[in-house]
Amino acid sequence: MSGERLTDKEVGERLRLARENAKLTQVDAAAQIGVVRTTLVAIEQGKRRVQMDELQKLAIAYRTSANALLRREAVHLDMVPRFRKLQESSDDAVEAATRLLNDLVRAEVELENALGVVRTRNYPPERPILPGDIRAQAEQDAQELRDWLGLGPGPITDIVSILDLQLGVRVYVRPLNGKVSGLFAYDETAGACILLNANHPPERLLQSGVHETAHLISTRRQPEVLTDDERFASREERYANAFQRSFITPARVVRQQFAEMTAGQSHLTRRHIILLAHTSGVSREAMVRRLEELKLAREGTWDWFVANGGITDDQVRQVLGELPDKRVYTARAQGLVPPRLALLAREAWKKDIYSEGQLARLLQLNRHEVRELLEGAEKEESEANELVKLPH
Amino acid sequence: MSLSSFLTNRRVGLVADASVMINLNATARAADIVKAVPNPFSITENAAAELKAGSQKGYRDHEQLLELIDAGLIRRAPLSGPGMAVYESLIDGSARQTLDDGEAATIAYAKEISGIALIDERKARSLCASQYPGLLVACTVEFLMHDAIALAIGVQAQADALLSALNGARMHVPSEHLERLRTMIDPERAALCSSLPKTARAATV
Repeated sequence: MSGERLTDKEVGERLRLARENAKLTQVDAAAQIGVVRTTLVAIEQGKRRVQMDELQKLAIAYRTSANALLRREAVHLDMVPRFRKLQESSDDAVEAATRLLNDLVRAEVELENALGVVRTRNYPPERPILPGDIRAQAEQDAQELRDWLGLGPGPITDIVSILDLQLGVRVYVRPLNGKVSGLFAYDETAGACILLNANHPPERLLQSGVHETAHLISTRRQPEVLTDDERFASREERYANAFQRSFITPARVVRQQFAEMTAGQSHLTRRHIILLAHTSGVSREAMVRRLEELKLAREGTWDWFVANGGITDDQVRQVLGELPDKRVYTARAQGLVPPRLALLAREAWKKDIYSEGQLARLLQLNRHEVRELLEGAEKEESEANELVKLPH
Repeated sequence: MSLSSFLTNRRVGLVADASVMINLNATARAADIVKAVPNPFSITENAAAELKAGSQKGYRDHEQLLELIDAGLIRRAPLSGPGMAVYESLIDGSARQTLDDGEAATIAYAKEISGIALIDERKARSLCASQYPGLLVACTVEFLMHDAIALAIGVQAQADALLSALNGARMHVPSEHLERLRTMIDPERAALCSSLPKTARAATV
């Protein structure tokens, strides 16, 4: 064996997490290696060292490798079973998104550790949900966060950079099933982690990003998944929804813009809504709902517009002209893995810390994909000179 | 130990890693190339499993491997006692000192049968050099450039196979083999090959 070996207890704990991630029972796993359940329990508790042939069989059953289970730097998280407990019934789309977040975070933390990279956290203070008017608290907390971030009254154009660069949250934008908007999880080792759906339009991605930020503020230790079929809105969800609206469209700002745009006019028109929505970077529906909430429009206004032909994209073009594509997250969403993770992987390979096979396993890619990811890494190395040497 | 003329004994077994199989498949002449050498050719269960993982995304490497196995050209190799100890030493420890299962099993089985490990991965090769200095290790490009291949399929087909592995599978070429490779595939074709380092594509190496 190479270097310091993990203890039987550590190996057992990793095997337990891997089994739970793979959604297998102890009985299932015991059957894989031809032992009784109590023997598997003993292995997971570190009372009996797993044999190498057993480890190989378990690694295959758990869709991992023996090296990934024994490698000292490997990080094992319990996000998948934690999220699973949240769901009333099993949902493949949520399960897949959860697994993706778990895998991305696991890989990033392991590569950071191996390369000695320390990620700075700058989380805002926690604001637990208090008794009383939840909407008022959300409004206050959202304004406090805006002030803390120094955002001013302007629109939020790039929530992902705010989360990533200002707060130090691990945030990923990847294509997910359409029903999943976002996931939030907090782990002692990895910190706050958010996954957003790259398939959603920028306005919706902004809403999901701020929604998950609300969970970072209020219920940090609870994992959360935002889907489009939530039937029951808990107090925490109502807080997050109110926070999201208040953060993206602060009441004072909306009131001021509304007053300026409608001054001297008798009716709220599609043109007003298009301009107000554009100014705040939100959808037309989100803007009308916010106006309703702030009593600047009567309740039922959005439903009236919908019943009367809606507010179409053509009408938006008539008011605003042809706008450039607003897909600000394209760079983050493209590639086989997120760009920062790709940089870490290339560096770990260049330094001979990880092999192609280890990276394939860690990043859940096949060998062809890893080669695509690593392509040119050697060229970078051979072309490097003092001029482009980094000052650390 | 790495040898430029490593196929001197026809009884010595060759053990291919997943990365080597991917390169061989990309040549589109895998069967002819494997047939060209008289040595027994095998792949471990772990390495085969890695290829199988690629099938989910439409890569045909595992299917092609099965065809080669069915044709009796490649044998699946199980690890036993002595190989298992080497395998364990290569997967248990720190990231820098270990390999993934397929790479470790390839080395372990080659050690077990006193054969030649065919492996491209730079880190795997350097671990072999330090931990198992007596073990013969070769990479795909060395294998494909071997005279036996030229004799079997012809010089031009050999050059085409090399180019296909470079373009189709991004075959890794250790720097010590760049000059010979460039000459074999023709410097003009090498200049157009984006998977080669810039130095190998330039006029002189």
